[in-house]
Amino acid sequence: MERLAIILLDGSNAILVLMLVSLGLAIIFGLMNVINMAHGEFLMLGCYSVMELNSRGLPFFLALALSPLVVAFIGLVAEELIIRRTYARLLDTILATWGLALVLRQAMVLIYGPGSWSVPAPELGEITIAGSPYPVYRLVVMAISLVTIVATFWFFFRTRSGLAARAVIANRDMAACLGINTRRADRLTFAFGAALAGLAGAAMAPLISVDPNAGLGWVVPAFLSILVGGLGTISGPLVGAAGVGGLDSLTAAFTSPVWAQFAVFTAAIIVIRLFPNGLVSRRKREA
Amino acid sequence: MARIPTATLLALVALVLFLVLPVVTASWVAADFGIYFAYAVFAVSLGFLWGHAGMLSFGHAVYFGIGAYAMSVVTLGMVPGLPDLKSTWIGLVAAVIIPGLVAAVLGWFLFASRALRGAFLGIVTLALSVLAERLAINADWLGGMNGLMSVPPINLGLNGEGADLYDTIPVYYVMLAVLAVVVAGMTWIQHRPFGLALAAVRENELRAATLGHNVARLKIGALAVAGALAGLSGALFVVQFGFASPSLIGFALSADVLIWVALGGRDFLVAAALGAIVVRTLESRLSNALGATWPLAIGALFMVSVVLFPRGVFGELITRLDRLRHRRRTRRA
Repeated sequence: MERLAIILLDGSNAILVLMLVSLGLAIIFGLMNVINMAHGEFLMLGCYSVMELNSRGLPFFLALALSPLVVAFIGLVAEELIIRRTYARLLDTILATWGLALVLRQAMVLIYGPGSWSVPAPELGEITIAGSPYPVYRLVVMAISLVTIVATFWFFFRTRSGLAARAVIANRDMAACLGINTRRADRLTFAFGAALAGLAGAAMAPLISVDPNAGLGWVVPAFLSILVGGLGTISGPLVGAAGVGGLDSLTAAFTSPVWAQFAVFTAAIIVIRLFPNGLVSRRKREA
Repeated sequence: MARIPTATLLALVALVLFLVLPVVTASWVAADFGIYFAYAVFAVSLGFLWGHAGMLSFGHAVYFGIGAYAMSVVTLGMVPGLPDLKSTWIGLVAAVIIPGLVAAVLGWFLFASRALRGAFLGIVTLALSVLAERLAINADWLGGMNGLMSVPPINLGLNGEGADLYDTIPVYYVMLAVLAVVVAGMTWIQHRPFGLALAAVRENELRAATLGHNVARLKIGALAVAGALAGLSGALFVVQFGFASPSLIGFALSADVLIWVALGGRDFLVAAALGAIVVRTLESRLSNALGATWPLAIGALFMVSVVLFPRGVFGELITRLDRLRHRRRTRRA
């Protein structure tokens, strides 16, 4: 029973962070039609950023707050230098972001070495849940993810800029005709998506080992989440992330992480076969 | 006079160069090139899948790795229930058929209902490569993390009792011959009805379907052919390298092969093959001097090539030469 409570808590932790990562991917795809293969590397940059800032004497939570900004800035530069040059060629954007991922990963190898680092978790103590101790920091991570997800939805559905962004998602040309600056929307979206990944990485940094390949373990489930959940909506990826993250952590808890990956991949392939448009689909009118 | 395509001319020039190469260089160079030719076959399989059939794969090393492991398991006599089986030839057949079947089954899941396209296909293949590497690391009967060591070289006997093909120069020419046959054969397939239909699907899937082509079946077929060919290249690699490890099946090699094909040129199979050979040659010459900067440099070069010359180096060369020849021809006429 106690073990079950821990498994469920760890599972919700994994699901919430995965939702954050998938949301960033889905927003970038929805708005810009760019599949960002470097998304995992943005997450990895978030880990390194919080580590670097923390080791320079900044309090952990300040480092945590600054890291998404650092990653957003890197995303902005990448968008300006590389990605915008391939917008006209959809398939080439994947290659360009994928090349960017290789470069970022190798840059971290050059700067911090190929080995893994650990970030000390802030001393927040433990709390007893259902009779077993549970680190408070994990609850903080869940809270951060939840608040960020809600804030993202609030931005998209309750603000004027969010309305403009949704207009660009629905029909880019029409939005441009109505006077929305789509170029600016692209730039902000990419930075925002990168920041979400950076935040996820920064928050998870004390709980995982920080190494140049840290992003890979997150981005693959995140991609499967948006594939399973469907891409037409902003909520689809959340459903996908819940399914993928839940299945992954439950299988990992009862068998092994390898079987968990196998189960997730197999389940994802079967869902793709049975629900070709994803679990949450919206009828999208073709332009 | 019938006009020889520029790509074929380039292939013939390269073939002549490679035929005389062992005569003028040290034997360790030839040994290296034997392995590069196996990589070139691998690049041709991805070039066919990506350039000709329009299906991008971020996990192509999965088939290469399955081929390498299949060959190793058979020639090391590790097939369950058949301890006496050590035949290189059966290993070769297994290394072609198993990855081909895996690719076909995967293709059935991906293409039979929703034609999973472009980026999404890339994502699934990426996930597959990460998963395959983890599975190989955790498969104890495949040596786990350490892989399978001392895989025997090609044995000419029916069941491993004949002469070994071990000397550098014969191995070099066998690999070159296989590469030449593969490039010629795949180019031939490109011009058969199957290949032409695939090109039609690549250009416009809806139009191809409307004209009566079974798009799903064509795509599954292309994936199976490419998977089988990648498996062959894995087998050719492992009989020279003598060592099959989880790194052959995973993410890193998938990344490498994509870079070779992109830099060489995905529109022509020759360009893809030459891309593999040239990048590997540069890597072995420069990686000592550049160290960890080499992957950074090649990644950056890849990014630049995607933005500035998407045809790749040899693809661009072939296209320009082609234009030049065409202009001279028209001027003469």
